[in-house]
Amino acid sequence: MYNLFFQHFNSKVQLTEDEQAHIKAYLTLKKIRKKQYLLQEGDVCKMIAFVEKGALRAYSVDENSNEHIIQFGLEGWTISDLFSFLTGEPATYNIDALEDSELVIISKSAHEELLQTMPKYETFTRLNITGAYLAMQRRLTSIISASVEERYQDFIALYPHIAQRVPQHMIASYMGLTPETLSRIRKRISSK
Amino acid sequence: MQTIAIIGASGSMGSALSKSLAKGNYRLLLCANDLDKVKAVAADIKKSYPTAEVEAIDCTREACWEADIIIAAIPFGAEQEMADKIREVATQKIVISIANPLNDTYDGLVTAPDTSAAEELQKLLPNSKVVKAFNTTFAADFATPVIDGKRADAFIAGNDGEALQTVSELVETAGFNPVVAGGLTVSRTLESMQQC
Repeated sequence: MYNLFFQHFNSKVQLTEDEQAHIKAYLTLKKIRKKQYLLQEGDVCKMIAFVEKGALRAYSVDENSNEHIIQFGLEGWTISDLFSFLTGEPATYNIDALEDSELVIISKSAHEELLQTMPKYETFTRLNITGAYLAMQRRLTSIISASVEERYQDFIALYPHIAQRVPQHMIASYMGLTPETLSRIRKRISSK
Repeated sequence: MQTIAIIGASGSMGSALSKSLAKGNYRLLLCANDLDKVKAVAADIKKSYPTAEVEAIDCTREACWEADIIIAAIPFGAEQEMADKIREVATQKIVISIANPLNDTYDGLVTAPDTSAAEELQKLLPNSKVVKAFNTTFAADFATPVIDGKRADAFIAGNDGEALQTVSELVETAGFNPVVAGGLTVSRTLESMQQC
């Protein structure tokens, strides 16, 4: 239920058993079924979700109702609308489940209490947010300067096995390509 | 959309409460020991509100794991057993206690004067946000929460501000006028209001 979460935590900051029990009291366990929303655009995002099992996506919808996937959340990943979570402004993303999933959720109030009372949690948060920033910078650089082939390979390196779990049109959406273009690129890569 | 697990949804209070919440923008998971009975409640709700998201579920723990809010529509005597089942998956979630700890003759309470059913539930679920609500409304009131053109008051008590706000919205959806009476210790007063 929280195995992966604490594995991830301990890989960044080592916790004693007592500290682990202390943090557990602040964690909400939540199951969510395929196609259910964890967050809807316009609501304020009041939680960070860690994916213990399953797959989710965060996406925005443009005025022509096209979906643009910002991030996938697979096992071991954290998913949220960080902007909304940190500022209290309405969320610009939707988050929904691509598979039946099990989440470990840290609510805003639990997050703030842990930040104030537990330096190790603060360190963990800093490392997580730094990691998210680096990932975003990498994604941005890749989008503006890499070739489409390189971008697809970067994507597969970031999310191994995702192609078996997520429909191609969603991968195309994440990459900002049409499904047809993505299909051509995959053919070109596999024929090399 | 928030998911609410109603434990004891086949009882008179549980089924009346489930039906009144089906009007709102909630997804309801109904559970009880007798799955057939709870399925009948779900079917009855679907008949009145065809678009309601309501489902009968036989595992209390599974339902609470999925839920954002848990309603314990069970007698005081069954709280311990329920708490043992759901403790882990109810952490940080709102748990609404609707029980009145009445004795067998309905003229006194089985709880000591310095506690209440809600406070006892909070002790059993130390990491959940227990809120007392719906214990001053009878099952019959849910059908007609408006008396003389006025919505009947429904008292709420709890220690967590955000949880009280969420439960107030829920009480309003059910058709009552929510009145926050105070912290969870006020449950002692709310529960003793129900003696005959």
